[in-house]
Amino acid sequence: MVNDPGDRVLEPYVETDNSVETRKAVSDGLLGIHNITSNRFWQFAALFGIMFIFGIVGFVWKLSSGFDDKSTWGYYVAVFAFLMTTSSAAPMVAIAPRIANSHWRRPISRAAEIWTLAGCLNLILYIPLIWLLPSLENGRRSLWFYGQQEGVPAYSPHIWATLAIVGLVLLGLSLLWLSTLPDFAVLRDQGEGWKKKWGGKLALGWRGTSAQWNWQHHRMGVVGAFYFMMLVFVHFFISVEFLMVHVPGWIDSLYPITHAHNALQAGVATVMLTMFFLRQFGGYKDYIGLDQFWGLGKLLLALSLLWFWFWFSSFNVFWYGGKPSEQAVLELFVKGPYLYLFITIFILVFILPWFTMIWNPVRRSVWGPAILATSVLIGTLLDRIRLYVASWDVAGRSMAKELEMKMQDVPTKIQTPGYEDIFIMVGFIAGSILIFMLATRLIPAVNLWEQKEMLLYKAEIQFHRTKVTVMGKPR
Amino acid sequence: MAKRSVLGLYSEEDSAADALDNLREAGFEEGEYEILTGVPYPEGTFGEAEPEHKLYRWPLIGAACGFTIALLITAGTELAYPLITGGKPILSIPAMAIIMYEGSMLGAIIFTIIGIIFESRLPRIFMGAYSEKITEGHIGVTVTTEETRTDIAETALNKAGTDGEIIRGWE
Amino acid sequence: MQEHTQLSHKQINEDLLKGVLTVPKWWLPAVSFLGLVVLTGLGAFFFMMYHGLGVTGLNRPVMWGVFIANFVFWIGISHAGIMISAILRLTQAEWRRPITRAAEVMTVFSLIAALHTPLMHVGRPWRVLYWIFPYDFSRGIWPNIRSPFVWDPSAVGTYLIASSLFVFVCLLPDIAILRDRAKKPIVKKIYAQMALGFRGTPRQWKLQILAGILLSALVLPVFVSVHSIVSWDFAVLIGVEGWHSTIFAPYFIIGAIHSGVSAVAMLMALSVWLYGLDKYIKPDHFDAIARLLIVVATTWFFFFFLEWVYALYTLAPPEIALRELQAFQWPYGPLFAIFIITSFVIPVPLWLFKRVRRSVVWMFWTTVLVNIGMWLERFLIVIPGLIRRTHMTFDWGTYHPSIVEILIVVETFAFVCLGMLLFAKVLPLVPLFDVKEGMVNRRLIKVGRRVIPATIREGLPHHYYEKKQ
Repeated sequence: MVNDPGDRVLEPYVETDNSVETRKAVSDGLLGIHNITSNRFWQFAALFGIMFIFGIVGFVWKLSSGFDDKSTWGYYVAVFAFLMTTSSAAPMVAIAPRIANSHWRRPISRAAEIWTLAGCLNLILYIPLIWLLPSLENGRRSLWFYGQQEGVPAYSPHIWATLAIVGLVLLGLSLLWLSTLPDFAVLRDQGEGWKKKWGGKLALGWRGTSAQWNWQHHRMGVVGAFYFMMLVFVHFFISVEFLMVHVPGWIDSLYPITHAHNALQAGVATVMLTMFFLRQFGGYKDYIGLDQFWGLGKLLLALSLLWFWFWFSSFNVFWYGGKPSEQAVLELFVKGPYLYLFITIFILVFILPWFTMIWNPVRRSVWGPAILATSVLIGTLLDRIRLYVASWDVAGRSMAKELEMKMQDVPTKIQTPGYEDIFIMVGFIAGSILIFMLATRLIPAVNLWEQKEMLLYKAEIQFHRTKVTVMGKPR
Repeated sequence: MAKRSVLGLYSEEDSAADALDNLREAGFEEGEYEILTGVPYPEGTFGEAEPEHKLYRWPLIGAACGFTIALLITAGTELAYPLITGGKPILSIPAMAIIMYEGSMLGAIIFTIIGIIFESRLPRIFMGAYSEKITEGHIGVTVTTEETRTDIAETALNKAGTDGEIIRGWE
Repeated sequence: MQEHTQLSHKQINEDLLKGVLTVPKWWLPAVSFLGLVVLTGLGAFFFMMYHGLGVTGLNRPVMWGVFIANFVFWIGISHAGIMISAILRLTQAEWRRPITRAAEVMTVFSLIAALHTPLMHVGRPWRVLYWIFPYDFSRGIWPNIRSPFVWDPSAVGTYLIASSLFVFVCLLPDIAILRDRAKKPIVKKIYAQMALGFRGTPRQWKLQILAGILLSALVLPVFVSVHSIVSWDFAVLIGVEGWHSTIFAPYFIIGAIHSGVSAVAMLMALSVWLYGLDKYIKPDHFDAIARLLIVVATTWFFFFFLEWVYALYTLAPPEIALRELQAFQWPYGPLFAIFIITSFVIPVPLWLFKRVRRSVVWMFWTTVLVNIGMWLERFLIVIPGLIRRTHMTFDWGTYHPSIVEILIVVETFAFVCLGMLLFAKVLPLVPLFDVKEGMVNRRLIKVGRRVIPATIREGLPHHYYEKKQ
């Protein structure tokens, strides 16, 4: 017996509650919530469905107006970029904490991944953009060194951007499927009706052998890493080909990264708002707790501060340099007709989240993060409108061959949206939400296997006179 | 009346927690007794009260002071010697913002440090009853009270099974 | 952390205070040698001060030479110290515990080293005061607040003060241990004064833990601003090709993280070799830092790629000519090749192998390579940009660093090493209380036949607050 505590070497074992009964209770509890579809759900689905139909009407209307007047396409591209910024970036909330082995992500990773399904809608929106984007033959600046290097096709941006966007959607779907595989097996075994049938088909005979779990874990890691890389590339393509090249003299090497960062920020906000609705209206109150809001709140706080840093890094270099072409770019996006819009964005995306999220009680609440996520999402939509509408306005002025824009070339007023633009904006955002809602009818919105896995590694124990949480990290 | 402090050392966490219970039973109040450890234990391990603090106010006050000073320096300098350089306006907000940002952060950090030291009730001139064994793993329970009540405190500490003699000190 | 040696408090005190309370055999020769190098460098500086900047290789048009490249390099190194410490604290990564202090101390010394060269570069260092502080009212000498050269000292100064105070506050509990362990009365008294009477009450520990988190959160934005501002010294200029690029701020920061995290890995290896800390710094720690380095290095490479692509995107002939000079012409071409090979091509593929990640020797040498590469990167940004012969340049010349400059640059390296060694002689380089806390919180969870390492989380579970609402 060691009397001197200085000599004590402690490494006590901790029991976790992972009995069959507890696991079954978790599984049954989540399946129970999953199987209930309230009337209110269908009412909202119908509402979003009607809005989506308006979106499709707007889409057809827009297509019928043709691609000749590029200056009218800004709002359309802005919606596409906004959906890319939100729904396609949301899965990162599942990927990054999973790689970092954070337990708090478990109840929300599935919701984040389901957003990849909404990415399919982006593909529809993307198709007209292939025709809208001018080929390199019109003499515009490009990153493809067209005309300087032999063998560069005039349609390089079209080819590569398409491949990247399709690749991103495919990777997203694979990730969702990989992550849901064990839950499909649960639906196959425990589900009823059409869910049982589809669960059986999509589970592909999953039995849960060690080899299968091992395979699934590694594939999720690899596909997740590729998803992130592809996401960065897609934002690189979008921000260059659909934005920067249309404004002569806008040479901002940081902007592709800013665009990707904005996506991460909006992706976090999307998941935050999603989990708010799942908790408040989806019946998942016992599963989505303050831990999740707190964890994501910290991320949103950091990303909001980074938003300012990225913006200021570009702004300061342009502002200080005083080059006429760069002053014209600042006039276009910040100081000129878009000044008030910019100030609104600045407040919604940076000031509000930053100066409220620094307070622990705000992060450790349900309403605080949800309100701030809404602020970030509205701000991001306005930001996309500001940038894309301004750029395509310039693109419509046939200055493609000029290397630099002059101050007198800067548009003096904001391009107003047509009815079809409003239809598309509202309709396609509603369409994404509708896809998400419908997907949650087949796929459980809270991950069953990850919740059950957590039982193995988490315990609340008595530590002398207090209770503490013990967290195990298997990898 | 002069205050004295006594210290009991324990080799087990539970004994130290028992000592706190005994002290409460003997009529000592929160603030009269303290746990001393060589390592941060999770809060409430010994059944002690959660320490209250106002640390979060310090960086805010500091940031406000730093921001104001930086604003005065930058704007004051520019206005006092209004020379246009590089075609920039006299009051160049982006350039000033950088210095004001650094000023705010410096103020926040310096005030936070002062806050940490102040809220930790440091510096402490007299150590009172203290043992070097604490930084080697023992858990100390110290009671600071009137000289007349030290006997009661010692009895309460001993009842929990101290490891060695009670240590006495001046406050 | 799978690998872990559970140790007693006494053992930890003995192991980690060995370097402070006893003198290792190699210590005196090492300190003497480094001291000599520092003195030689300072001698070179005084020689330069007496004779003027003519003794350096600086001349029109290259007025910024290795001094400024070295400044950027050390600012970069200083970054990872705090970054590693702050980010790992905020994310509650358990493997941070033995490495935070060394990283933070490295930040302080490398910041001082960074300040050496630009101060020496101005020739008459005391005159710097005129540029920064508005104090000489009678002579009407006012600093130009709009100049990046005022931003720089305000940022670096803030960072230096912040990181030094951060180190000091986090040292308090360890100074208290030294106060209790020191034998000589005078030494004991000094430590007692420094410990401010720290006794380890719950209040003091709570504030100590909060200090780690709050100061990390405050220092991180400062760390980001410092290198951004250093990068704007270059980027806000439009006259020099290759510098006017918006990506410079993040590019400098990610470069700083790349070189700095590598320096932390070097430091970990040296701690294992010199102070025998293999019970505390395990192959798992190297594995973790190598994984981090793979991500950092790849991100850095992407930024490097963007910087280059956008330089070519300008379609400006002088810009393209500069890139040709940087990458293909003598003597910069070979240096460019060495830079790419050492900072990315060799280390990153090697780190993909588990055996390399878990080997102290491999990690040491690969991270040394990264730092050689990253020093060259700064050199290749500063010098070729200035050397370009454009139509507005009235004086053409080339640049070779003189022996005086080389001695001063070498001095900065010796200074940081010397500083670290002297610090380690007086105060522990591994935070004892943090390591002990890790041991107290350590638990094991048995899942079937497997034992999973676990830890008690700091702070209360959040459902506690939920119930209160």
